[in-house]
Amino acid sequence: MKRPLRNPQIVWRHEKRREEEILKAQERGEAVEDRGTVILIISGMMHQLNLVGGHIWSLCDGSRDVDGLIEALAEDFEVEREELVEDVRDFLADLEQRGWLSYV
Amino acid sequence: MSEAFTDLFSAPLTFNWTLSFRCNFVCAHCYSRFEEGEELDTADIRRIVDVLAEKKVPFINFGGGEPLLRSDLFDIATYAGRQGLNVSMNTNGWLLDGDAARSLQASGFKSVGVSIDSHQAALHDDFRCQAGSFARAVTALDHLRAAGVKTTMSSVISRINHKSFRDLLDLARNHGVTQIYLHNFKCSGKGFENRQELDLTPEEWRDFYVEALMVKEQVKDLAISFDDPVIASLPQYRENSLVKGSSCGKLSLHLRPNGDITPCGFIPLVVGNILRDDFDEIWYHSPVLNAMRSKEAKGKCSGCAAFADCLGGCTARALAVTGDLEQPDPHCWK
Repeated sequence: MKRPLRNPQIVWRHEKRREEEILKAQERGEAVEDRGTVILIISGMMHQLNLVGGHIWSLCDGSRDVDGLIEALAEDFEVEREELVEDVRDFLADLEQRGWLSYV
Repeated sequence: MSEAFTDLFSAPLTFNWTLSFRCNFVCAHCYSRFEEGEELDTADIRRIVDVLAEKKVPFINFGGGEPLLRSDLFDIATYAGRQGLNVSMNTNGWLLDGDAARSLQASGFKSVGVSIDSHQAALHDDFRCQAGSFARAVTALDHLRAAGVKTTMSSVISRINHKSFRDLLDLARNHGVTQIYLHNFKCSGKGFENRQELDLTPEEWRDFYVEALMVKEQVKDLAISFDDPVIASLPQYRENSLVKGSSCGKLSLHLRPNGDITPCGFIPLVVGNILRDDFDEIWYHSPVLNAMRSKEAKGKCSGCAAFADCLGGCTARALAVTGDLEQPDPHCWK
């Protein structure tokens, strides 16, 4: 099975402090979809990935296939399996289309 | 990005690093020509690199002063690259011959920017107060390209070039430059001294940016970058920046040759020293940095609809001209 791998040319950083604040906000019932936990710097432009997107990005290190990635995510996010699978596949397709990810 | 304090990044993305205030030029707009002070040795520079790597700062950009006057520049860059930092620099190009270009390539520079302020040699030389500097700068771009180093070009927009910036784009293209920075004029150092002669009026800045934004939309073979927050008040400005206003103190900081940290090279307010002080304490709790991150609208900014996007424009310029970080940017045309 092919394994997703982040584009190694992309500079990125996991913002742990922000993530902690976002998790607290999520527990309070606030909307956190637009708040970034991972920032990417691509061609001088800054992009951010939210909690779920950042988690997927962090897992795309070429060591696991998509099913393995979904397994890893399922441990951390309480969401219907079908919905999770669809979201992950859509997100990976978007990253691939942007050239931010490939398969090895 | 929310501007809430809790959303602050864990560290800047870029440190603009003045390794030395020494320079072989005396440019008419230079922010640092009157500066002097202690310069750190290589061991202390490496200690700073270690701090930046630990804080996961991804980019450092050496400026100056002229970075190539530091004999240990290549060693420093090599070390920083090994620590995971992406290293770039800006130079006037005078000392950048073929050997230097190959050394820059070998020491891992991701890109090197050369400052060129006019497509006309005589104008550039006059602005830089150095006969022959245009020819050497252009040749430096060619040496870098031959050595396989990505090049950028930096042009400070002023009275000598604001109506002919398209010629600067052509010059960049002709020498394989991938990105050109059209820097706004800062009123610091000699720039403050010469601002009456060199700076544009607010209306001229507006006209320049309207035209430059139009050109940026049209040009596909060269990246054109501006770093001026005042531009955000123009309807033609369509970038959805994640950070509003000046990026200084939010996305970037500046290091002086002795390790002192300032919000940017144009703001002479020292917020701490990277070797002596705890970096997190500076980053999260500096009163100056926090004031820059939470600017209140003053003067004509009060009630201005654009304030939410420009946050008063360039903080450095406001401070230099008015002595107050929160005053409106003197370049603002509104």
